[in-house]
Amino acid sequence: MAPLKSMEKDHPLIDTHFQSFFEDFLLYDLHALIASADNHSSSNTFKQGIDQLLSVIDAKLPSLRNGLQLLQDAECNKLLLPTGFQGIDALLGGGLRAGQLTELVGPSSSGKTQACLTSASTVAKNGGSVIYFDTGNSFSPQRIADLVGQTSGYVVGNQAELGPLQRVMERILCYSVFDIYQLFDMLQQLKINLKSKIVESDHRIQLLIIDSISSLITPILGGSGPQGHALMISAGYLLKKLADDHNIAVLVTNHMVAGEGGTSKPALGESWKSVPHIRLLLSREYGSNVCNISTLKHPSVASGRAAKCTMYL
Amino acid sequence: MEKGGVKAWIDGDETAHDMLRRISAVRSSLLVPPLHRVPLRLGNVVEIVGPSPSAKTLILIQVAINFVLPREWNGVRYGGFDHSVLFLDLDCRFDISRFSQMLTHRIMEGNAVGDCDKTLYDLCMQRFLYARCSNSFEFLQTLKTLHCRLKREKDHGVSVHLLLIDSIGAFHWVDRASVFLSPKENNRKKLFLQSVSEAVVQDIKKLLQEYPMLVIATKSIIFGNTYSMASNEVNRCSRNVTRSPQQIQYREYMPSVWQSFVTHRILLRSSDDQPATSNYGNFSFYELEWLLPRIGLPDKIVVKDTGVFVDSRTMFAEGANCG
Repeated sequence: MAPLKSMEKDHPLIDTHFQSFFEDFLLYDLHALIASADNHSSSNTFKQGIDQLLSVIDAKLPSLRNGLQLLQDAECNKLLLPTGFQGIDALLGGGLRAGQLTELVGPSSSGKTQACLTSASTVAKNGGSVIYFDTGNSFSPQRIADLVGQTSGYVVGNQAELGPLQRVMERILCYSVFDIYQLFDMLQQLKINLKSKIVESDHRIQLLIIDSISSLITPILGGSGPQGHALMISAGYLLKKLADDHNIAVLVTNHMVAGEGGTSKPALGESWKSVPHIRLLLSREYGSNVCNISTLKHPSVASGRAAKCTMYL
Repeated sequence: MEKGGVKAWIDGDETAHDMLRRISAVRSSLLVPPLHRVPLRLGNVVEIVGPSPSAKTLILIQVAINFVLPREWNGVRYGGFDHSVLFLDLDCRFDISRFSQMLTHRIMEGNAVGDCDKTLYDLCMQRFLYARCSNSFEFLQTLKTLHCRLKREKDHGVSVHLLLIDSIGAFHWVDRASVFLSPKENNRKKLFLQSVSEAVVQDIKKLLQEYPMLVIATKSIIFGNTYSMASNEVNRCSRNVTRSPQQIQYREYMPSVWQSFVTHRILLRSSDDQPATSNYGNFSFYELEWLLPRIGLPDKIVVKDTGVFVDSRTMFAEGANCG
């Protein structure tokens, strides 16, 4: 009962006994409970108790929203962040959408990390903060510097003043993460920080990148138990909740492994498929620097749409 | 219904003609294509099974739009049902802009001038109610409080007749694992797979008694084919493998209490024969098959930017099937 356990720290009243009571409350048929209470002398107070508890839950849950409210929230807060990759932007209708989880699938050296670095530098250049979880030491500040210099003509190397490059670099926070538990810790910490608004407003986090999430999750999959999959799905929900609550775009990458018959398939398989909002497939012909991108899944365009774009390596 | 109406109804005196008219009002093919094969009525529980992506959510959106649209508006016939819709998002990735885009298209398509009536659009958007849950705990809380929430909506003159759940198996893995995490105790129901499903079914049943609704839930296939075949050998007795005549199978993973709650089941799968890409570049094709009740002939459906349609190339089969 993780949601209640996390409340235990702040509210000492919510101890283990209360937690088990609350589980029971959710699992039992309330009508049957009330009916059985009719035999007791204190049935009225019991019914009142149930009603009160229900109204407490009701007040705690976010209220039902109608379509207009949802749309208003989407239009005001769920902005598009250009990635700097023309091909990807065209496919996505303008860029990564805040509040959504976008996944890049592709074999090794198909341009996934390149796309992550480009998105990070583009968002940082436009004034947003970026959190970059790096799982394979593939983050390269030099590449970011090159990208920033290349696309806007900033001069690199002038150390005398705090130039635009330094400001861009300051906005990208890179963390090395080597296992899923570390990722959970950091995401929880981020959630707490965002909630208590420790992060200053001019450093609003707009993009969260995990390159690659599959290398964190695949080691815990396999075996007969469901724990690995449960952690994977929980990580997905945690990311989606962060994205939606704080209007952050989330970009994750998923590498390819060999499937049967000599084909390759994404490392995170069927169960993961229903987690991301958008899945893009990257591929690159051997020796060329043209990257082919196609949509595997997109909420508002039919899948199978493709685009090409050139990568600078 | 007001008190007098209820009493009159209990007293009887409804002629067969009246009854037929009353029933056909709610019964007359509640659903638009591609779900038009089987007549559905309030109280039915439809499950749409399919891999991801297979346009499951899109079908839900399409059905929802048909529910919220009025029968007629300013002389234009939309053929809707004038009802409200409640969408429970367990996958947490519903995109309202897609809904808005399809609704706008539908409204524009209907009227001759080709513009989008703002009042009608706002009305329809307000009839769409939405809640998201990111774990079973929240899902159960939401279901427990739906009674009073729906009552509140009803007091505002909004009556919900369609409950959409996307997707019902979303918390499968987390719930399955939670039994290992919690300490062992006797004599208590634990919050895990079986008991969560029992509670969910129980709550929805109670809800349906008070608020007659059509329930449509999607379920994504979370086991790949190879995996299901491999583990099939190991636990044949405990797992239920549904095998359709075409050798395409999916592994049932919802507890039996949910399975027996479902009254209608539809299977979606990607279509094998992709037509030449030149004309159809931006479309995707899927096959839709009724598993419960079983209708042998699958429909080809095509997903375009404007919605889901029955592929016109298989339209000729429709006559053969009905006849």
